[in-house]
Formats: sequence, C-alpha cells, structure tokens
Amino acid sequence: MSLLKVDRLSKSFGASRAVDGVSLEVQPGEIYGLLGPNGAGKTTSISMISGLLQPDAGEVLVAGHSFAADPQKAKRIMGVVPQELAIYEELSGRENLEFWGRIAGLSRNDARERTRELLAALTLTDRGNDPVKTYSGGMKRRINLGCALLHRPQLILLDEPTVGIDPQARQNILEFIGQLRATGTGILYTTHYLEEAENLCQRIGIIDHGRLLAEGTLPELQERLGGDRVFVMEANFENTAPDAWPGFRERFRIIQKSDRQLVVSAIGTRDPSDCLRELLSLPVRVENVTLKRPSLNDVFLQLTGRELRE
Amino acid sequence: MIGILLAKDLRRARRNPLPWMINLLVPLVMTALIGMVFGGHADSGSLGRIHFAVVDEDQSFLSKFLRGMGGQEQGSKYLDPVFMSRAEALREINANHLSAVLIIPTNFTSHYLQASAPVSLELIKNPAESIHPAVLEELLGALVTGLNGISRNFNSEFPVWQAALTNEVDYDQLATLVKHTGEKLKAAKTYLNPPLVVYETEAAATNQVAAGSTGTGTNSMAGIFGYLLVGLAAMFLLFIAGNAMADLHRELSLRTFPRYQTLQTATLPFLLAKIIYVMVVVLVCAAIMLGGGGLVFQIHWEHPLALMALTMGYAGFIATWFAVLVALLPDERRAAVLTNLSGMGLGLLGGCAFPPQQLPGFIRHYVMPWLPSHWFAETARNLQGGETTLAWTGVVLQLAAVSVGLAGVAIWLFRRRFNSGLRA
Repeated sequence: MSLLKVDRLSKSFGASRAVDGVSLEVQPGEIYGLLGPNGAGKTTSISMISGLLQPDAGEVLVAGHSFAADPQKAKRIMGVVPQELAIYEELSGRENLEFWGRIAGLSRNDARERTRELLAALTLTDRGNDPVKTYSGGMKRRINLGCALLHRPQLILLDEPTVGIDPQARQNILEFIGQLRATGTGILYTTHYLEEAENLCQRIGIIDHGRLLAEGTLPELQERLGGDRVFVMEANFENTAPDAWPGFRERFRIIQKSDRQLVVSAIGTRDPSDCLRELLSLPVRVENVTLKRPSLNDVFLQLTGRELRE
Repeated sequence: MIGILLAKDLRRARRNPLPWMINLLVPLVMTALIGMVFGGHADSGSLGRIHFAVVDEDQSFLSKFLRGMGGQEQGSKYLDPVFMSRAEALREINANHLSAVLIIPTNFTSHYLQASAPVSLELIKNPAESIHPAVLEELLGALVTGLNGISRNFNSEFPVWQAALTNEVDYDQLATLVKHTGEKLKAAKTYLNPPLVVYETEAAATNQVAAGSTGTGTNSMAGIFGYLLVGLAAMFLLFIAGNAMADLHRELSLRTFPRYQTLQTATLPFLLAKIIYVMVVVLVCAAIMLGGGGLVFQIHWEHPLALMALTMGYAGFIATWFAVLVALLPDERRAAVLTNLSGMGLGLLGGCAFPPQQLPGFIRHYVMPWLPSHWFAETARNLQGGETTLAWTGVVLQLAAVSVGLAGVAIWLFRRRFNSGLRA
C-alpha cells in the first residue's frame, strides 16, 4: 500500500492554474523527487497534500485513508518541512524541537527524549541550548528539518530543504535524509536542483506550469531520450531548419536548438558511431560534436523546451 | 495546547524583551507625563495649591478686599497668594517660582466705583505651566463677572459707598446706605435664589449623573484625574494591544502559524493563545496605568473589582479586534496603518481621549453607543463618579460577548485565508 497517493490534484488562483491534475504515489522507504523550476507548482502541491491549502479537485490518500475524511489522523502520519525556516529564532534549538514535539502531541518527557535524539542525529547537541538566531544557515536548516520529525512520521514532505545553504551543509542534510529513507520512511522531496534529484531520489516526477510532465526512475526518464545517446553539436545554426533536412526527423529528436548549438538524441537503437557519421553528413559545417549521457536537464529540456536553470 | 503555546510566547518575550519593554514603557511614560503636567504630587491628590503673586498697585480698600479673598478658608485650600512688587513678581515668575502674577493697577478702585474709565486686572501667566495658570484665569474670569454684576446693579450707589469708605465715616449715612442696599438685595433675592429661569446643558446633566447622587465626598480634583486617566488608558491600551498583536503577523511571516497547521487541524488554540498573550500584555499595562496613576494622583478607585472586570472585558475586546485585523490584512506593513487608524478611531470616537460631550451630536448619538471603547470608558468613569448600580456587569458581559464574536470572525477569516493560500 502506498504511504501517499495523490490523485489528479488541481488548484487555481484566479485565472492562474497553479496545479493541474497532478497524480503521484510515494511508497515506504522511497524518496520521490518532485523536480521543477520555481513557480512550477511544487510548493502548492505540498501545501495541498499537507492540508494547508484546499484543493479545487483531486484526492489525497495517506496510508490508504482519505486526508479529507480524517485530517488529524493524516497529520499524525506526516511530517512537513516547509521551504522557509519556520522556527523561532529567539528560542534555542532544543526549545524549538521540544515545542514542535508538544504541538505534534508528544508528552513533555517524550518530547524531551526525542529532542535529545534528534539533536544528536543532526549533530547539534553542542549548540542545542543556544538561540537559533546565533546558528549558521545550515544549522537552522537542520533544526527546521528536525522540527518535523519529533513524532516519528512515516511520511515526510520536504519542500526544497537545501535552498540557500553551502555545499557541506547540503551534503549533511542529504545524508540525514538518506538515513531516514533507510528506516522505511517515505519521502516526497521537492527540489529544483538536478543533482539532488538524480543522486537522492528513487523516482522523479518532472513538473512545470502545474502539470506533471513525466515520472519514473532516472533510467526510465533517460530512456525517453534514447537511452545513453545525446549529441551536442556546435556549428552556425543561424537561419537553418534542421527539421527540413532530409531524413533528420526520422532519425533524431531535437532537444534544444540555439544559434551556436544543437542538442539531439537518437531515435531507435543504433550504434553511436553510426549516429555520429549521420550527424557529420548533415548540410551544415559542424565544428564539434560531443556524445554524452542524457541528464535530467536534457529530459526537462525535451519536455518543456527550456532548461531547468533558466 | 493553549498552555504550551502561551508558554512559548512568554519565553520568546523574555528572550526578546525590547518590544515588551516598549509596551511597558509607554504607560509608564504616559503616567509620568500626566503626573508632571498636572502636578499630581500634592498631598490632597488634587491639583495642589496655586502659587501666584498679587501686585497691589492700587492700595485701596477694594484691592485689599480682593487680596484678602485668597486668604479665606475656602480659597486657601486651593490658592497660595504672595504679595510683592511688580519687579519682584516678574523676577520670580521668570525664575519659574510662580504660576502667575495678578496685578491690580493704580486707580483700579476709583475708576471702578466712578465708572469713569474701563478698568482691567492684569494676569501674567507662567508659560512653562499649563494647568495652574489656566485655573487662575478661570477664577479671575468669575471674579470679573461678579464685579460687573455688582457694578451694573449698584452703580448708582457707588459714589456714596466710596465717600463713606474713603472719607470720614458718617455712621448715619452708612446705616442708610446699608439699609438701602439690603432692600435692593432682598428684592433681588427671589430672582437670584432660586433663579426663575434656568437652563441646563446636556454636558452638565451628564456630568451630574456621572457625579452620582450619593455624594461620595470624593475629592473633585481626584475625580477629574480618574476621569482623564480612564479615558487615556482606554486609548493607549488600544495601541499597546495593536503592537502586541503584531506578533501574530510575525507568526505568519515566519511561517510558524502555517507550520502549526501541518500538525494540528484546529486553528482555535493557536489564535486563542495569542489573544490571551495580548490580553496579558494589556492587563499588565492597564495595571501600571490605572494602578500607578492611582498612586501618583492618589486616586481612590471606588470599585476596584468592577474596574478590574471591565478592564479584562475590554482587554478581550481589543485583543480579538486586532486579531480580526491581522486576519483581514496579513501583511504587517499594510496592516500597521489600519491598526493605528482603528486604534485612533476607537479611542477618539469612543470618547476616550476627551469628554464625549465635546464630540459632534451625530457621533454621540449614532456612532459612540456602538463602540466597546466607549462602553468601557464611560462605565469606568461612571463607577468612579459614584455609580452604585450593577450596570457594569452588563457591560462586562457585552464586552465578553463581542470578544467571543470577534474571535469567531478571526478564526473564520484565517481558515478562509489558509484555504485560499495565505502568504503574509
């Protein structure tokens, strides 16, 4: 049974459709990455799943039960880590953790004990009694994450938990999330960092303009572009129309085209050297060709026509 | 749950004491300022005796009579005149040792009695003081009105009186004069006491009610301070509550209120804890203002328990009112304007800042009765004025009912806002 099942979730703000029929599932012990640029609908989706926002349509099932039927029960199963630092800077890390533990329904003693465990797990025991306002960005992010874990949720919703922190702090958080997955926790992880999605997530959903464009494991998504064959050609493509070249459309799929660069993937299973030969025989003076494995960015490019970093 | 939330707010307040200290400082400064302006340190708890100089350049029997008035038993309770030359008096007032200087000019008496030329008394007020010189000016106005009245009615007899008092006294002539004047006064008595025609202003009528029919014997000046202090406290508590409720804005912008909602379905405990927190701030400030003010002015609060209950009801109203404003305008900067305007509106239109009788009739009749700030201030003033009925209990219940209603509105608004994607 899925820990989380989201079925055709939709939300509009006036004329703007923020989320349009998003469906996904998160299994126990799985990290599902929701990848998309800013404004794609990731946070709106998480807000609806966590009950902060009323969906216009669609249903959320948590551990097989409808969220709408018993929201409090669903909230006991979930832990939500918001994108912003939703912690009290005047209080210490320990006080923040204990407070959110009490709010999650733990007794005073349980909250204290769990806080001690989490401070150790987040390597913050030494600074636990200091006010959060004296923490570094990475330490604040870790406390922000810890505040959602007091009640040992089976399902964790992480909304871009590594935004704005240095690489080392990011690595610490990613390792901690990996440890959570190892305990059987299901995680819905939104991000716009390709590397995080590629390295951390078992399955990835690509979202843009509120629509889930594709989902699957990384190899499944790469397969959409022809497995491991993506060619980057450098030439003067100004005033050229590759689609009009004879036989080109049948053999190659254009991922991206600019005046100086053309990124294509091969259609079908052919030897890369054959593909290379075909590309060099095109009616354009090619200056350089690179063969590379398709990245999530290439998948995103192919799906949306623009780079994720744009 | 409410206890956990409230403990968190109090702990935060302890860690970041500046806003809290500012909240406490406002009533302290306000009370001290009023104390300085009104000179509320007098033993009687009243204005204190007005220390002023009389410069008698006339040196006549009338000027001696006027000089003597200040030293009478009644007058000496409030007036502390000293007699000196003009130069000395001006030196003293410049040194800020006097509230005012009253100058009785040369030939004042002769000109008055002969009606040969307009006469005037000269009053020099100390610009560094506001209340004492103003009171003295009012008293002088009453004296001038009296002198005018005497002049208009007894003008024909003035020369005889002057002759009788300034020259060698002819006792036969004086006896005739007294008899004649007595007959005139006797004839006027039926008109003067009681007067045949009277008029009554609404303000006077209301003040009479406020003063109460029981005649508690409360010092009238202390009554004025009580009246002023209650109104000013009602006004300032509005601003203090507005500042304290800004913490709810911060809970929204910090995203801690939405985070709470990811763990708990009910909005009520979070909002209720914040309302209680604001009420605590307001009540502490009210204790400083009313209690501290009472000590400074030596006001004896006639019904402390009733005043306490009223203040609690009022604190509930203003806390929930500002919670509604936060729900209406979650953006703190935009809401600050509305918070200040609504605080001023409730204070001014509710008749807190000055006597309600001074407000235009439309506001008095159609706006003020609907404002809880007016219910509080007016009921507290009436209590202090000696009202002994239990009308205040009704007002407390009214305030409590409005608070509950406003809390309900705030919860409903927040739910709506969250459902539609609230961003502070």
